[in-house]
Amino acid sequence: MKKILIANRGEIAVRVIRACRDMGIATVAIYSECDRAALHVRMADEAWPVGPSAPRESYLRIDAIIDAAKKSGADAVHPGYGFLAENGDFAAACRDAGLVFIGPSPEAIALMGSKTAARQAAIKAGVPVVPGTEEPLSEQTSDADVLKVAEQIGYPLMLKAVAGGGGKGMRMVASPAELPASLRAARSEAQSAFGDGAVYLERRILAPRHIEVQLLGDHHGTVLPFVERECSIQRRHQKVVEESPSLAVTPALRRQMTSAAAAVARTVGYTNAGTIEFLLDTDGSFYFLEMNTRLQVEHPVTEMVTGVDLVQWQIRIARGERLTLDPESLLTPTAHAIECRIYAEDPENGFLPSPGRIQGLRVPQGPGVRDDSGAYEGGEVPIFYDPMISKLVTWGETRDHAIARMKRALAEYQVRGIRTTIPFFQWILDDDDFKAARFDTTFIDRKWGAPGSGPLPASEPAYEDLAVIAAAVHMFTRAATAAPAVSEPVSIWKQAGRAEALR
Amino acid sequence: MTFEIGVGTAVRTVAVTRNGSLLNVTLDGRTVIVDARRVGDLALSLLITPEGGTVPVQSVDAALAVQRTAGDFDVHVAGRTIPVQVRLAGGFGHQKKAGVAQGTGPQRITAPMPGKIVRVLVKPGDEVKARQGLVVVEAMKMENELRAVRDGRVRDVVVTEGQSVDAGALLLVVE
Repeated sequence: MKKILIANRGEIAVRVIRACRDMGIATVAIYSECDRAALHVRMADEAWPVGPSAPRESYLRIDAIIDAAKKSGADAVHPGYGFLAENGDFAAACRDAGLVFIGPSPEAIALMGSKTAARQAAIKAGVPVVPGTEEPLSEQTSDADVLKVAEQIGYPLMLKAVAGGGGKGMRMVASPAELPASLRAARSEAQSAFGDGAVYLERRILAPRHIEVQLLGDHHGTVLPFVERECSIQRRHQKVVEESPSLAVTPALRRQMTSAAAAVARTVGYTNAGTIEFLLDTDGSFYFLEMNTRLQVEHPVTEMVTGVDLVQWQIRIARGERLTLDPESLLTPTAHAIECRIYAEDPENGFLPSPGRIQGLRVPQGPGVRDDSGAYEGGEVPIFYDPMISKLVTWGETRDHAIARMKRALAEYQVRGIRTTIPFFQWILDDDDFKAARFDTTFIDRKWGAPGSGPLPASEPAYEDLAVIAAAVHMFTRAATAAPAVSEPVSIWKQAGRAEALR
Repeated sequence: MTFEIGVGTAVRTVAVTRNGSLLNVTLDGRTVIVDARRVGDLALSLLITPEGGTVPVQSVDAALAVQRTAGDFDVHVAGRTIPVQVRLAGGFGHQKKAGVAQGTGPQRITAPMPGKIVRVLVKPGDEVKARQGLVVVEAMKMENELRAVRDGRVRDVVVTEGQSVDAGALLLVVE
């Protein structure tokens, strides 16, 4: 394997480029119109255009991407996550074109990509699943029929896209009255995100923790599970904070969950990197939720506590190497790691997406800090794609240490010109229940904006005073240098304003 | 030089004058001495003397991001991001008080950001209840349902399904 095309953009494309460079492998980026100057394009050895900015016309164009791979002479394709990463047709198209797809087989993707088929695979492996519908409910299934099925499962329940992932096409339904509207929204979101509007129903576990197990499988029959990640801190069913290990998982439970995860993967002959997601109930019982047949967004926390480079191993497995990692060490975390997903969204304004130009960027550094980012100073965050701009990960000797470092790193992090979720994470990290690891997947819904939950840290008076002083000093010194005529404040103001407008 | 600076819900009055190589900054009647160094186009290192001190020592690293309106900034300070609006003295006038009253008048539903109209859930003449969904806008891969603030009747629907809209574009009017 000499040259790898990365069929993705943003931070994950950058992450894969770095792994390739570590291994002496050449890299090919692809880009849409608005991504011409994106970081992944700048960092790659080669870059090929694949179409207009809308994902459907570029990063989801299988033909254009295969064509770019052929023209560039790449011998393998890494899909990253999202876009075509869990598209069996894309994996098959790579294989047909003589390209190595760095991921599982098209058959495994198709099988586990159907959430209902994946549930059946788990049952076959002897792993418990959340009670729910065994068969998908197609777009033709009438509201009345769905209501009937829902009645048997009982409320509250979860409505999920059969082809789902990343919280898209997912709704919690508390009562029959809510079902038709939720069904309409879930189907439409699923149709636009995955091209498949089929959904299924699952009983809602009231206060579950989200625990998942990373796996690697080689082409010689070895499947190795890693120490668990906890991803219970979610907003709109999307993970926002992840950590490893979980304080809710004892060594005995870790054995059970990692063995169960490996059993599911072996049942379907799984190869390359994948993740089995579980719900952990308050009584210690756990249920298979789904399998993600790709590299996860949150893979760095596992890398930080095991020292394993998962992307490098994806590549090594794809070129036929045997997994030579020590199974015990993968289940024995070194201390603690935590990740915050920094989004270009404004937490003070209903998490409204905040695309635009990054005027200034100061990235945190120092001991125990890792920033996986696709952003740079002067770069644009386009409106067309997922608004995640960076994953900030910290490692510490203990969980408290990792949290302290995260708070320090978040305070160092400046993303100027757009709003980000950094203040939201500062709020989470200051929460007593978070600090004590007393939480479940309803944490954000229950606490965010609830009475007594405290404001975002930005609105403290002492900091407002400092901000006001800084702004006044800036305008004063800027005005003094912009115009000699200090006697006419209005014209100075205009000049200062013009100077700002020009930058 | 005197500024009026909007921060949070307040308008603060700030006077800046030279004091040798330092600056005197008077904020709501209290004066601090500031040693300011520009460390970037929009970045400052400030050493500030608390009231009564003589040598500025409190170190504050501040950086600004310009917003669409001249004089509006996000100030990044001590790990916080604080929006401010800087005007010369008297510059606010009654502008600050001209905020939208939520209680009366037609509701103009506008696009919060650039996106695509996925669905229009109402038509002119429809009676709508408070919090009823009116239109679904897709932006950055998420569908956002825009809802009525209060009960009313749909007067105009300006957009159609599939249409792309800019931030601030009028979508429909409920009266």
